[in-house]
Amino acid sequence: MAARGVDERLERYAELAVRVGANVAEGQLVFVRGVDVTHAPLARALARAAYGAGARYVDVSYFDQHARRAMIESAPDDVLDWSPPWTLERYRAMKDERAAVLATTGDPEPELLQDIDGDRVGRARPKEAIEIQMQAFREGANNWSGLAYPTEGWAQQVFGEPDVERLWEAVAFCTRLDEPDPPAAWDEHMSRLERRAAALNELDLDAVRFRGPGTDLTIGLLDRSRFAAARFETAWGRSYVPNVPTEEVFTTPDARRTEGTVRSTQPLALAGQIIRGLELRFEAGRIVDVQAEAGAELVRGQLESDDNAHYLGELALVDGLSRVGQTGVTFFDTLYDENATCHIAYGFGVPQGVEGEPGGDGYNLSTVHTDFMIGGPGVEVDGLTRDGSAVPLLREDVWQLAE
Amino acid sequence: MTPAERLERYAELAVRIGANVQRGQIVEVVGLVEHAPLARAVAGAAYRAGARYVDVTYGDAHVRRARIEHAPEDTLSTTPHWLLTREREFARARGAWIGITGDPEPELVGDLPGERVGKTRMVDLAEESMKTVNERLINWTGVAFPNEGWARAVFDEPDVERLWDVVAHAVRLDEPDPVAAWAAHVDRLDRRAAALDALQVDALRFRGPGTDLTVGLLEQSVWCGPRSYTAWGLPHVANMPTEEVFTTPDARRTEGVVRSTRPLVLYGTVVRGLEVRFEDGRIAAVDAGSGADVVRGQLATDERAACLGEVALVDGKSRVADAGVTFFDTLFDENVTSHVAYGSAYAEAVDGDPPEQGFNVSSVHTDFMIGGPEVDVDAVTRAGDVVPLLRDDVWQLSA
Repeated sequence: MAARGVDERLERYAELAVRVGANVAEGQLVFVRGVDVTHAPLARALARAAYGAGARYVDVSYFDQHARRAMIESAPDDVLDWSPPWTLERYRAMKDERAAVLATTGDPEPELLQDIDGDRVGRARPKEAIEIQMQAFREGANNWSGLAYPTEGWAQQVFGEPDVERLWEAVAFCTRLDEPDPPAAWDEHMSRLERRAAALNELDLDAVRFRGPGTDLTIGLLDRSRFAAARFETAWGRSYVPNVPTEEVFTTPDARRTEGTVRSTQPLALAGQIIRGLELRFEAGRIVDVQAEAGAELVRGQLESDDNAHYLGELALVDGLSRVGQTGVTFFDTLYDENATCHIAYGFGVPQGVEGEPGGDGYNLSTVHTDFMIGGPGVEVDGLTRDGSAVPLLREDVWQLAE
Repeated sequence: MTPAERLERYAELAVRIGANVQRGQIVEVVGLVEHAPLARAVAGAAYRAGARYVDVTYGDAHVRRARIEHAPEDTLSTTPHWLLTREREFARARGAWIGITGDPEPELVGDLPGERVGKTRMVDLAEESMKTVNERLINWTGVAFPNEGWARAVFDEPDVERLWDVVAHAVRLDEPDPVAAWAAHVDRLDRRAAALDALQVDALRFRGPGTDLTVGLLEQSVWCGPRSYTAWGLPHVANMPTEEVFTTPDARRTEGVVRSTRPLVLYGTVVRGLEVRFEDGRIAAVDAGSGADVVRGQLATDERAACLGEVALVDGKSRVADAGVTFFDTLFDENVTSHVAYGSAYAEAVDGDPPEQGFNVSSVHTDFMIGGPEVDVDAVTRAGDVVPLLRDDVWQLSA
């Protein structure tokens, strides 16, 4: 029976997120969280799909950037990083009850906070709540996935006009929803990325070097750094795909061994502002200087909120074959833009990027994780092996290893 | 007044007169996703009133629909524990609470099995929130946000402007000084409540087409107007609009039959032509033109839902009645005419601590409308006199 007013593409998209993305299990609790109020149609489709996959209960919690703006503008200073105690139980339940978690992106107003004090925007993070989520992440408690919802505001930001249909087409292409059998296409795609990660692990790299305009950066790796891609597994053995789309192979670097300068190659939408022309300088792993054409204050505020945020937690490689990159579009949405090109993240290390338990010397622990884009045709990427030789990985955005 | 100014003024009214938000208070704003513009305006107004933090939480009737349709039968009435903790912690913080109504799709689940619809209620959460209200731990109010779907339900066309006019009139936003107008209105209803207290009413009798109902009161029953007080003495106005005086009946002493005079929106279905028969205080039979099974499903979730917890009187001078429409929203429809509620009683409408016997405790509180020009309302005093209260919707006492 066809339900009333159901958008068939939206239902298929939600199915993809629930079945391939989070891989919701029969009888599981499901949280759909951080959903912008304009994403309600997707949240509803996700709830239907999750119940359809056998969820016991689906908890949808909405997020309102306008309410957050009012908080940042008006609340007392000590409230900025405060977590309302009555919200914490939800995060604990998410972690302790091994829930499936779905989150949506696609900011309808990526510059809503552009005109307010960047330092306050950067500090406005509910720390205690974030710490519980970080712990869940490190423990591998949840099968989770993020996906975007095309909205008018987002389309306006991307194309300069509110062409939602054009944005939907780009999203469908990037997420392989345009394929006759999207799950099969995803399987094939993920296997290719996994072979690429395996080839990188074969090289036993000691460091990765990026060189291009404004960039000369060397990122040391840990002995136990491992390249990984696409498919994760929870501590209790459930596989899932955290990012829809995903085009990267990534690893967790040695937080103590980043040296040099880097210039971002794409704008970064961060917490309601857009950071343009970000330039960072690293010494002994630590960010010692932040410059940007716009938004530097926000980045500095975020770094100040947590000292370990000054160190890298992720390094990811993406080549020009990326479907996201092929669109030629800047999405102003990290889920997309980080899959268009190589990127690094300051803040916490990714557990899946190391062998064994997360933690220990050189593995960065922080409440922050901010990806920003540093790759592109003008940036050469080399792997440095333990015997000191350089292996070209990317030239002109073309992957250099055999596949 | 531009639409933006109107929204601001409404939000200010909700914050200053309704919840009466205090400097340094935590504020919770709860609405549906469709209510975001008013929720945002309320958040801004609350910060201007000195709120420490405003938590805006949105519900989604479509997500609830998915639960009704697909969730395992034995989970339908359960409350996720984090929502229960949330309610308790918020009450402990002595927060202010502002709820937003105005259902964009009053019949969203009208096509689903009524019994499952009635069952899909977070019973523990409802009990906890009744407790919070009855222990008077928070200062709270309910307001409504005109939206397209709601306008369509009311007028058969999505004329949001027309609905705004009606709502603005009902909540006295159309007055030059709404704050002063509210003060005068509240005083008038307080005098009416005092006059009823002076009568020493033992029971109320409703008589009209399909209705012959006697509602016995408790010795401790007191009549209340719009002003409520928290346990620490902070006044607030719990409903905007409000036109009623109400009291807590003796849950054991309702007898007879009653026919509702207006449709009732219940959990995404519309209950029409509801007829209820009471025996020894309990609902013994439920009939309705539509939605009877939703009411029966709801009553089945809770032993004491079937007894009355509130009786309220509204006369024809109600501003909410001026528009002559059915709102499909209880906050409005219950202020058009007299009503009773099955389920939980309000502690503020009894003198002293609620008595063990006769004060109804339940996770349900469902108001339905039973008054109108054809329904005579009398008070039977403890002395045995019969005093007319309403004839042809006209208030019969001097106050």
